[in-house]
Order: sequence, then structure tokens, then C-alpha cells
Amino acid sequence: MSRRAARDRRRALLTGLAFLSPNILGVAVFTVFPVVFSLVMAFSNWDLTQHNPFKDTRPKFEGLGNFAELVRGWEFLRYFGNTLFFMMGIPVAVAGSLGAAILLSKDTRAGGGRPYVWLLASAGLIAGCVMLALAGTGQTAMVLLIAGAGCGILLLGVTGGLTFYRTLFYTPHFVAGVATFILWKKLYAQQTGPINVALQPVLDGVAGAAQAVGPFFTALAWLGVVLLLLLLAMGLRRLRQVYIDGELGWRAALLPVVLLLVPFGVAMMWGYASPYRAVLLVGGVAVVLYHATRLVRSADKFSAPSATEGFGSALMLALLTMVGQFVVLGLLVVAGNVPSMAGDGVLEAPSWLTDPAFAKPALMIMGFWAAIGSNNMLLYLAALTNVPGELYEAADIDGARPMQRFWNITWPQLAPTTFFIFVMSTIGGLQGGFEMARVMTEGGPAGATTTLSYFIYIEGFETGRLGFASAVSWALFVLVFSVTLFNWKFGNRYVND
Amino acid sequence: MPMKVLFTSVFGVLVLVSLGLRWSFPDVQTERPVIYWVTDKNPAREQQVALFHEWLVENGHVNDAGEPAVELRLDVANMDLTKQTIQSVSGVAGDLMDTYGPSMRQLQAMGVLTDLTEDAEAMGFSPDQTYAAIEPSITVDGRQYRYPANVGNSMLWVNVDALRRHGLEPPPTRWTWEDFERLGVAFRDAANPPGTAPNERRFFALNLDSVRLLRTTGLSKFNETLTACTLDDPRYAETLRAKRRWVYDLNILPTPEDEAAFASQQSFMGSDAQRFGTGDYALLEGGRYLLILFRRYPHLGDLRVVEFPHAGFPCTMISSRAVALYAGSRHPELAKLFLQYLASAAYNEQIVADADALPPNPAYTRGEAFLRPPAYPKEWGTHGAFVETAETIAIGETFSPYVLPTVVKRRREFFEDQFMFGLMSADDAAAATADDLNARIADELDRKPELRDPFERDRAAQEQIDRLKAEGRPIPAELIKNPFHLAYYRRTGQLSESPATAAATVERHAMAVTAP
Repeated sequence: MSRRAARDRRRALLTGLAFLSPNILGVAVFTVFPVVFSLVMAFSNWDLTQHNPFKDTRPKFEGLGNFAELVRGWEFLRYFGNTLFFMMGIPVAVAGSLGAAILLSKDTRAGGGRPYVWLLASAGLIAGCVMLALAGTGQTAMVLLIAGAGCGILLLGVTGGLTFYRTLFYTPHFVAGVATFILWKKLYAQQTGPINVALQPVLDGVAGAAQAVGPFFTALAWLGVVLLLLLLAMGLRRLRQVYIDGELGWRAALLPVVLLLVPFGVAMMWGYASPYRAVLLVGGVAVVLYHATRLVRSADKFSAPSATEGFGSALMLALLTMVGQFVVLGLLVVAGNVPSMAGDGVLEAPSWLTDPAFAKPALMIMGFWAAIGSNNMLLYLAALTNVPGELYEAADIDGARPMQRFWNITWPQLAPTTFFIFVMSTIGGLQGGFEMARVMTEGGPAGATTTLSYFIYIEGFETGRLGFASAVSWALFVLVFSVTLFNWKFGNRYVND
Repeated sequence: MPMKVLFTSVFGVLVLVSLGLRWSFPDVQTERPVIYWVTDKNPAREQQVALFHEWLVENGHVNDAGEPAVELRLDVANMDLTKQTIQSVSGVAGDLMDTYGPSMRQLQAMGVLTDLTEDAEAMGFSPDQTYAAIEPSITVDGRQYRYPANVGNSMLWVNVDALRRHGLEPPPTRWTWEDFERLGVAFRDAANPPGTAPNERRFFALNLDSVRLLRTTGLSKFNETLTACTLDDPRYAETLRAKRRWVYDLNILPTPEDEAAFASQQSFMGSDAQRFGTGDYALLEGGRYLLILFRRYPHLGDLRVVEFPHAGFPCTMISSRAVALYAGSRHPELAKLFLQYLASAAYNEQIVADADALPPNPAYTRGEAFLRPPAYPKEWGTHGAFVETAETIAIGETFSPYVLPTVVKRRREFFEDQFMFGLMSADDAAAATADDLNARIADELDRKPELRDPFERDRAAQEQIDRLKAEGRPIPAELIKNPFHLAYYRRTGQLSESPATAAATVERHAMAVTAP
């Protein structure tokens, strides 16, 4: 190579580096350095009240002291529990995103779709609202406002079609977080919020009904108990089936089975579920014994290639069933307690943000709303367009019904996208919760909405214990990393299964 | 090549914009030194700044051009303690910072506040120039770190018309928890006829602070030497039970959701004052500063103030929004002039006129301008009551040097919530609070070796105090660090003070009230 060529090459390299240097410098200063620095801090006793430019003392290395304190104290575990509670909403939020994406892949515009359906729906909505107003709901303005907004949305959908709806559904994602939280805070207001204003007439009706037909609600609760046992039976049956078919290894079946039993464990410890404990215990044991017996009897039929085979599918099944079980458990407890709660003929709408029992679900519901119209929905929309049309044509020729088309074509085809969304949602779930806790509840009531990220903020900036806050951050990182690794190892199998 | 030109041009534009931004900074635009005052958003602050500039000229603090020697600017966006903490250690905090008791303790522990003791003595803004009870709030270990911008002692405002409308007479100035409960139930029944909608309910009073209620039982959060939390005492559990009974069983105080329903961002206590004005609350806890809001409601009828209901030991809490000087200030000598101004007649008279709590110097509460402002005859019976309680039953805040106030507040409120929401019994909540805070004290001592020696000394003093208490003998004042216990033992005749100490206290008090 001539000297000139070498010089040109060096100049080109320097020019390239000059262009890149702002970014490299930015990443190095604002990302790499803080990450490395916080790792060092996590092993130090850095406390702003002692170690800052106005004091002579320097932070000292204290090994695993901060991490030991994490495990010793009650706060980390409690707030980790809160974080996990919020994360239980992830499957529902993902299902919501998928549902929204499927809806938004249909054409609603006049000519392309069935406008008369939408017009009819609008007319029905208006008629319903007018009837409610005439019946004296006492909140005519609110009802009309909601009705007006609903009709406007439907009519704009008829004319604007998919573009309008897609924009509308994606709105939560580009509205500033704090503004959204303040809006929801107003929506959740106990006495004046639209949610409770709409809910109160329903609760009044329920209270009246509970007084008139109390045993009906008790029966509903017992129906819930049966449903809970049925869900357990169905989950175990499915696991047994795949085990027998050789698609599930014995070791891979352990965690899913435990997950299916978690709601029963919670019911045993939950005071409100005490009337149903005995039945749930006996029924649960009976269901487990039944499936264990059936499994032993068919011991000669199965041959799983490896003990960990099929873990991904089984875990997904168990997680979804567990969330369903928790929903049923919550509903049955509500149904069972309604007659006593409405003893004096009044059921007050919940104090969403100031009652520890409702604060977490309230934030979770808000999370669903935000998650449904998020990037997840866009990812699903994109993935749906990639599902080969021939598969649907073949299914149609075979006479498949819409649900069969979904379960056998759409869902498996979306598996890689679902996996990606689950991984990202899990990471986001573990790291999230700070903004909403800060703006809406300040971590209360009684610490019910304090997540790990909010705990880091409190320790770091309110108490000034930067070393300890860094240790919490790195513990959180380890959790995120472990869960992601777990997802990657077993979730990938689910995708490939 | 065009990319290089574009890159260079963008870089050049950014540099120019940065320079432009820098030139727009106030300290570049003026030739005079600029100092910043971190305070709350309040129209009165602009007036106070203007008054300060005038005061500088009147007192000869001027430059060669005859202008004020320093330009004071407001910073109303950084009152939050987390912001003050981060800005302080980063070297960019405001020169003067409004602080409350807990924030001062935290910032002082960080070493970011200037020790003002000698300058305060020389320039006339020492603790002698304010209420004796406020001293623990502005000093740490005998060293002064701030001077009050105003002083607040909490009392209960009474909307006399709201009570009389329902056939009830206002309570006496001094009353007990039982009196409070009895009158509260009577008001609840009279003001909320059957069928009253939840959002139209009237309450006897807005929520009462648990710590203030607790003090009226003769108990403090910490022991005499501040070395241990004493909230496992049955009196704390009883306080919690009383509060819960008033909120959830008797409905004479609003629940958090009742309060949230009317909360607004309009201003500090704005919606509460409005509801008090309309008679939705018969009583409202607060200081004289609430008059700023009440004066906006000309229809508001007769006003009175009464003491906090007590459970054997009538007392009230006195605290202060006080100004501290940042240790990293570039103009500390000029900033101290502002503290001197806070002790001046010009500033105190403005506080008197604005009714922004009590003026820093009690001497300015003696005149007619304070006691009977001509424009507000309805208030005449209230001003003097605040001064009287400040000088008789008011006790300063209690802070332990062995645990940060922010930690104490968070942990105590957590367990209080656990009880209020039925997740724990009162006795368990009280015990858990004490256990948890004592564990935090132990952790703090582990982490901060420099605290161990003073802690051991204080603990030895505590053992001595406990022994004297057990023997029924008076306790020497010099052993006690907790201002609450000092006042409690003095008022209950259990304190042993040397004649010199007692005389000094009296003399100091007399100095403060005759200063001008």
C-alpha cells in the first residue's frame, strides 16, 4: 500500500471517528460509566449524609453488606411482592394487545366493511343512554358525555376506517405518562370520579339484589369454587396428556404443577376465602390424587425424550391457567361477601387509590389500558400481516371454525412475537411502577403500590443511601437477567414447540 | 464533503445556541452579584424581595452606583427535599434555601449548610431574636443553621357560624379528647341529616396529625436523650385507636377518600380553607398563615382559635419555615444580609400585615397592627391566641440525631396506615413502629462510627434518667436532649434546673420580646 493510500485511509478513519465520537462519548459518559460506577457503589457504604464534597470522609468498600441488608430487611421482599403482583397483569395485557390487533386488522370503513352494524351499534348506544338518563341515573351529563364520545368514535370509525381506530388505540402510547396518571387519578376519585359514578348505580342494584336474593350470591360463590377446581382439573389433565404423549418431561412438569396449585395456597391463607377453604382443600387434593392415579396407571404409555422436554409450553399453559384461577378466586370471594357487605342495603363504590385492597388492582387496570394500545399491539399487527393467507384458505377448505383458525393457525404463527412481547413485558414489569406510584399514590396506601423502582428512588434520593440504592438496583438487574435467561431458555422451546 | 459541512454547521449552531443560553442567565445580564432564594410559590415572596432590595439601600449595603449590593432572585421550583439534596451535593443549590425542621436536619447532617452561629450573633439574627420554643428547630447541638422566615404553631380554627347554624356553641380554648369527640358527634348528627349524599357530608374537623395528638398524652416519639423510639408505649396505640374511631367509626373526621374527593392543586390547603369557609368543616388545623386564605372569603363569619384537644398534657407544636445558607454559596457574606433582613422591622412588619404565620421576632406581635388590624375586625380575637400559645404551651419539633427524620416519617406512617386500614392491631402497629425505628437506629450506628461515642454518652445519660424516674426524683435539665421532655418535665415540676439556667431562659425570653 502506498503512503498516500495509507494516509487517505487514516484520514477516512479519523473522519469516521469524528462523526461517531459524539455518540461514542455520549454512550460512554451517560451509559457505560454510570452502569460501572453504580456496580462499584453497590459494594460501598456511600451515604450522601456522610460522603459528599462538603465532607472529608470517603466511601468505604463494604463487600456484600448492602445485599445482606436487602435480604435481612422486610422492605425489599415486600416491594418485590408488589412488583410481582403488578406483573400478574402481563398475560392479560398481552391478550388485550392481541385482541386489539386482531380487531384492528378488520376493515370497518363503509363499503369495505359492514357500516350498518356500526350505525346500528351507535343507535343502540344512544337509545341505551337516553333510557338510563330517563330512568334517573342522576348523572345525565356524564352519561351523555360518555354516550356522545362512544357514538363519535363509532361513527368516525365507519368513515375513517382502520386508520382512525389504529390511531385511537395507539393514543395511550404517545400521551405523556404524568398527564395520563393525573387523568386516571381523576377517573378513580371515590366520590366524583366517572368510574365510580358509573359503578354506583350498578352496585346499588347489586346491593338490592343481594338483600332480596342473598343465597343466589352464595350459590355464585360456590359455583366459583367448582370453576376453580375445574380449572385445576383441566390444567392437570392437559399436562398429563402431553406427558403421556411424550411431549413433556417429568422435571419440566414440576413447576407448572406447582403454579396450578398456587391459587389454592393463597386461598388457604386469605381470610376472605375462609368459608371455602375446606372444600377447596379437599377438592384440590382429590383432583391432584385423581390425576396422579391416572398417570400411574398409564405409566407404560409415555416416553418423553428428555426430562426437561416441553417446559415452555407447559409453563405458558400453567401461567395462563393460574391467572384465570386468580381471577375466579377474586370473583368468588366478592360474590360470597356481597350479602354481608350489603347488609344495610348499601354497597359503596371502592376507594380505588386510598384503600390498600384496591390500590394495586386499580393501577393494574390502568396498566392494561396503557398496554393494550402500546407497541405490543403494533408488533402483533405487523405479525398478523405475515401469517400466510394459504394457511387460512386451507383451514377454510377443511371447514375450520373461527376459533379453530385462531388456535391452530394464528396463535402458533404469532408465537415468536408473543415470546418477544412476554420477554420485554417481563423486563418492563420488573423495572416499572415508579412514575405511577410517584404521581398517583406516593407508594401508598400502606406501601401497597411501592414497587422496587420506587423503593430505589426513596432510598437513593430521600434517604441519601446511594450505596444501598445501587445494591437494590443490581439485585433488580439480577432478577431481570435471570427471568430473561429463563424465558430465553424455555420460552424459545415454547416457540419451537 | 457536504456531510462534513453539515456536521460542522450543526456543531456551530449548537455552540452558538449554548452561548446564547448562557448569555440569557440572570447573573450574566447584571453586573451586580446575584443570589438565589429557594422558596415556595407565593405572591408575597415578590414583595419580600422588593422590600429586601429597599432595605439594602436604606441600610447602606449599596454599590458604587448606589444600587443594592446584591440582586436577590426567587427560585420557586426547587423546594422539594430530594432536589435540594442532589443540587446541594452537586454544588448548584440555591444560595438561600427555605427549610423545614426535617429538611434542615437532613441537609445539616450532609454538611451542606453554613454554621451561622457567630455571624447571627454579630448581625442580630441569633436564636435570641425569635421564640424560645423554636430554638431546637433552628439549631443542632447548639449551633445555629437557619433563621425563621415565619413561625407556625398549630391550633384549631373554629368556624363559629358553622357550629351555631346547627345549634352548637364553639368549644372552649382548652379542651380534652372527650370534649372533642362529644362536640364532634353532635356536629355530625346535626349537620348531616339522614339521606345526606356521601359527597355532601360535613365533618367536624379536617384530619388531625397523630404526632401532635400523641404529644398531648405526654409522650414523644423518642426518649429523653433521643437514643430510642418510645412509640411502643400504650399511649401511642391509644392515640391511633382514637384517630381511627374518629375517622372510621364516628365519621367526625374525613377518611382519606373524603379528603381526596375535594383535593385540588390550587394552592396549599386551598380547598380545605374553602370547605372550612363554607362550613363543610367546623374546625381546621393550622397556623395563623391560614388567614391568607380566609381573607379571600369575605362571607366567612366569626372566627376563633382553640388549642389542640389534649389527653392530659395541653400542648401544641411550633415549627418554622426558616432560611438556611448553602455552604457552597458563591456570595455567602451577601446572602447573610438576607438573614439579617429577616430579623428586621421591615420584614417582620410585612409578615404581620400579610398574616403569613407569626413574624420571626415575637416583639412585633405586641402592637395593635398585629393584634387588631383595622381592615379585619373579625380576626381580632385570634392573633393574640397564637402568640400566647407560642410562648406558653408550644414545644419545638423532636428529631433524633441517630436516624433521619425522613426515615422516621416514612416508617411511622407506614405502620399507622397498616392499623388505619385494618391490616394490623393498634398495639402491633405501635410495637412494630418502635422495633423498626430502633432497628434503623442500630443500623445507622453500624454505618456511622462517628455517632457511636455520642450515642453511648446519651445512653448513659438515659440510664441515669430512667433511674431518677424510677426513684421519683427530678431530672436534671442538662441530661435531656428532647425538647418535648424538657418542656414536659418543666411544666409538670419534674425538672431540676440550676438557678442560673432557669434565669438565663427567662432572660432570653424577655430579650426576644423587647428586641426592637
